[in-house]
Amino acid sequence: MEDEALVPDEKEEFVLFEEEINRIQEAIDSFAEGEFSHIALVGEPFAGQHLIMGTIRDQNPDIASYIPFFNVIKGKEAITSTYGTKEIILMDRCHFLALRQIGGFAMLDAFLDMISLSDKMFVTSWNSFTWSYLRAVKGIDKFFPVVIEVPKLDSKTLMEAVLSHYEGDIEFIDDTEQPEEQPLVAMKTVPVNLPFGYTLNIPWPWVNLNHRPAENHGETQPDIEKVVFDKITRIAKGNYGVGLRIWERSLDYPKIRLSKIPDLPCSLDLNIKEAFLLYIVLSMESISFSDLSEIAGPDIDVEQTLYRLTSHGLVEQEKGYYRVNPETLNCVIAYLKRIRMVW
Amino acid sequence: MVLTTLNETEGVIAELPFWEFDPGMALEILYILVLAFILVKVETFVFRKISEIAGTRRIAPTMLIPLLKIAIYAIAAYFIIAAVLQPSLSQLVAFSGLFGAALGFGLKDIFADIIGGIVIAFERPYRIGDKISVMGTYGEVQDIGLRATRIVTPDDSLVSIPNFSVFNEATASANAGKTEMMVVIDLFVDSESDAVAAMDILRDAVVTSKYVYISSSCPYTILLEDFPFYKRIRAKAYVNDLRSEFEFCSEVTRRAWIAMQREGIRPPRFPAHIPDVSPD
Repeated sequence: MEDEALVPDEKEEFVLFEEEINRIQEAIDSFAEGEFSHIALVGEPFAGQHLIMGTIRDQNPDIASYIPFFNVIKGKEAITSTYGTKEIILMDRCHFLALRQIGGFAMLDAFLDMISLSDKMFVTSWNSFTWSYLRAVKGIDKFFPVVIEVPKLDSKTLMEAVLSHYEGDIEFIDDTEQPEEQPLVAMKTVPVNLPFGYTLNIPWPWVNLNHRPAENHGETQPDIEKVVFDKITRIAKGNYGVGLRIWERSLDYPKIRLSKIPDLPCSLDLNIKEAFLLYIVLSMESISFSDLSEIAGPDIDVEQTLYRLTSHGLVEQEKGYYRVNPETLNCVIAYLKRIRMVW
Repeated sequence: MVLTTLNETEGVIAELPFWEFDPGMALEILYILVLAFILVKVETFVFRKISEIAGTRRIAPTMLIPLLKIAIYAIAAYFIIAAVLQPSLSQLVAFSGLFGAALGFGLKDIFADIIGGIVIAFERPYRIGDKISVMGTYGEVQDIGLRATRIVTPDDSLVSIPNFSVFNEATASANAGKTEMMVVIDLFVDSESDAVAAMDILRDAVVTSKYVYISSSCPYTILLEDFPFYKRIRAKAYVNDLRSEFEFCSEVTRRAWIAMQREGIRPPRFPAHIPDVSPD
């Protein structure tokens, strides 16, 4: 039986992050009426903040200037001379304003001075890990009365977002074997060999860590579309970009097989230099080799460390820019949180 | 009256079945001791593994190690006494009295250490994984045993501190069960150098370190103090893992000095003229 609630309504155009876009648009509209507050849009890498910024730019072409950063900002003119006369300034990827090195906050300080004195409204987007670092170190949240976090998507929303890219039908195939369900907890006996030929059978509680309760109690087969997107959402932890990447890697258009969606193992053991370089890549989202070398400093052999991170599948290179492999993003985040490299 | 009571106790003890001690019983005692030993090793291993997996929360699981150790040895002791003596309640009380007296006279130091171990396990003035300073020794607590606490010093020496010291020595725990720990870093600069620029550099060196941890409950501070021939710039900040205490200190100091030398900030110089303050 098909779950009708999960099928996108074809009559209405699907808008991803509609609530967040509306909140920003309302703030922009209020600015025209005299209310004034800078906005920070904060999200994990690939979460969709740039999608939101692009939508805001397209909705306000006459009143908003759009300034995206792609490299570390090294001169004040880069943040002061490009605004023109428009009242709303959309600054995308503001995490490039600060470097985690001695003297690395000069551009950020200049930017904060500028927005403190300006009568323009600034809508800025930030990497969430850079944001939480700058909040602890520089109290940056005090400059942005409105902070909007890019939300994690649920399975239904991710399905709507992904399927909105396709016009034709996608065939969902469940080609996985259904294992016989085992109980969550059972008693087993473990034989223990004692000296002089004795054997002792010790009862031992056994917990089935792979246990998943039957969703429909065997009455009906679960909707395969729902199963596919539940699995993708679980692996992506609701991150839109990661979910989309997993979908694209698993799709053999126009078919997607459940068995092709990989359960990604997560087991990392890095030294402090590798972990720090990985943190820099994570917090900058996409960074050139020269910028990476500048932040890492002479302590870290960037080429060798990048090679190890790339060979572990943690970092990938695209057009000369390094970024965390989307499929390992959640593993990287969990590891860096565990060792307290990100806060 | 006292003589009568002692005679009665001797009578009760005389009834204890010591003469029934046989090789089978010896084997049973050996089994109990070996099992207790293996259980202690297994629980220590398991909780240490769990604590390493737990990352920044690694100290919490290790709290159970000394508690379980005491419980296992106490149960083993009970089974041995029950196996050897098979005592009635009055015999057990009488035996306990004599055993206590023996401990009091002959083994009082060991007994005091065991009591100290129990107090440490329950009161937790420090835990396995903490950085502590006790009896002039500073290091990371490696193990809390029944008799002694073992500490690994920064130069990798293993020091055993008798548990009894918890009663009569001040114990300082640098992290109090948490993984983060405050580290104090001092830099000394020449009186004529720009102290404000030096503070800015040290601040940046601290907050951009690989090892730093900053939150509302773990803030950082940069302090300046003036001395007759130099100025002291002091940073107080938390290292994200107490095991990186010295690396944090070294990294911040090295990076700060490289930046200070670029800015013309100099270390203190020996004064050319030392004022004569003698009474003559």
